[in-house]
Amino acid sequence: MSFTDSLNLIVRSLPTLLQGAYITMALIATCLGVGFLLGVPLALVHVYGTRWCKWVAAIYDRIFRGFPALVLLFLFYFGLGSIEGVSLSPFLAVVLALGLRSAAYQSQIYRGSLLAVGEGQMAAARSLGMSKPQAIWLVLLPQALHFSLPGLANEYSIVLKDTALAFAVGVVELLSRGKFIVARTYATMTIYLTVAAIYLVLTYLGVLVFWVMERRTRIPGLGDRAKESSR
Amino acid sequence: MSFLAGALPRLFQGMSITLQLIVCSVPIGLAIGITVALGRSYGGLLLSSLAWVYQALFRGTPLLVQLFIIYYGLPRFGLVLSPFVSAIVAFSLCSGAYHSEYFRGAILSIKSGQLEAARALGMGRLQAVLSIILPQMLRKALPACSNEIVYLIKYSSLAYLVTLVDLTGQGRLIAYETFRFFEVFLVVGLLYLGLVTIANRLLRSLENRAHVPGL
Repeated sequence: MSFTDSLNLIVRSLPTLLQGAYITMALIATCLGVGFLLGVPLALVHVYGTRWCKWVAAIYDRIFRGFPALVLLFLFYFGLGSIEGVSLSPFLAVVLALGLRSAAYQSQIYRGSLLAVGEGQMAAARSLGMSKPQAIWLVLLPQALHFSLPGLANEYSIVLKDTALAFAVGVVELLSRGKFIVARTYATMTIYLTVAAIYLVLTYLGVLVFWVMERRTRIPGLGDRAKESSR
Repeated sequence: MSFLAGALPRLFQGMSITLQLIVCSVPIGLAIGITVALGRSYGGLLLSSLAWVYQALFRGTPLLVQLFIIYYGLPRFGLVLSPFVSAIVAFSLCSGAYHSEYFRGAILSIKSGQLEAARALGMGRLQAVLSIILPQMLRKALPACSNEIVYLIKYSSLAYLVTLVDLTGQGRLIAYETFRFFEVFLVVGLLYLGLVTIANRLLRSLENRAHVPGL
């Protein structure tokens, strides 16, 4: 295949691939969302929980960080799907598997940044008459979320790359659209390189968005002290 | 339970493939990582920008896509690799990119005065890097690299998607024969968890051994 042929093929397949990229973005957004909603409470349990709660959170952590993403995906899609009365769509299976997995990783990020905010802030808030939940919600958590943004950017790029696994259970995202085109045209290299390029753009665009968010929410003088105490 | 007794030998067979994949790609990945990190830190403009491009490409795209390019794409250019070799090439290149970033971070954390001191003692540039910077870099990067190695153990399951019958692949076959999807994948996951736990223990003890008080 000549260079112009390849270029033609890329231009013709781009709309299809971009539709796939849209599904990929939807997957990332929901997986990160599930991870956030579950990861924050998990982190609070890791830091402030009672012994039993901590123990349960630790087991959750072990399983979801110790199993490969692909095995988790199979466990949810084929395993849960084979139980009578349960039917999961491929999309939902991916969101559950990768979302719950991301929650385990995100809880570690939030745990680290909660600890980085420092003991003194909790003591100060309590001495102003706040209850413990109030102090966590109003004082510690907002600061911790800001400190966790660099870690979240990292997590975004990991989840983005893991969503490529979704093709293995039949979600028609970016990679599987690429596979369809390859099955018709046999232009393996051209198509997979284009797919890789789209992933590359998505990765660095997302990281840029998190970087801007981090800059926007920065409070002068705040980060420096937390970094010192976390050392 | 009897089904498990039948399945376990086959799962261990798959696990041996998984172990072979890991044992081959971890050292190659580390070697690539060290070379690229040194190239990016001490190479000239050309070498360091090449290293940067390599890092950006392999850290910015999914491992699965890299695997597909190597397994399905390279035959276009007459380079036909077996699933096993493709997996090792993809795993080494990808983890090498991550390792190199950790090694580079370690190099940056070593004060530049050390290199100057070594040069002042009459060492050549290469000698100073190899005998002063390299040992410290390896020590400092060890925790991050251990993490990456543990990641690689888990991501080795992608080899199944290029038709290699590793631990995940055997699990999939057994699950289709017995229709006990949940049990089989749970056992497969626990076996990976076991591998990861053992690797963690070994790497921690290596870290303790390499620890130099006060460094």
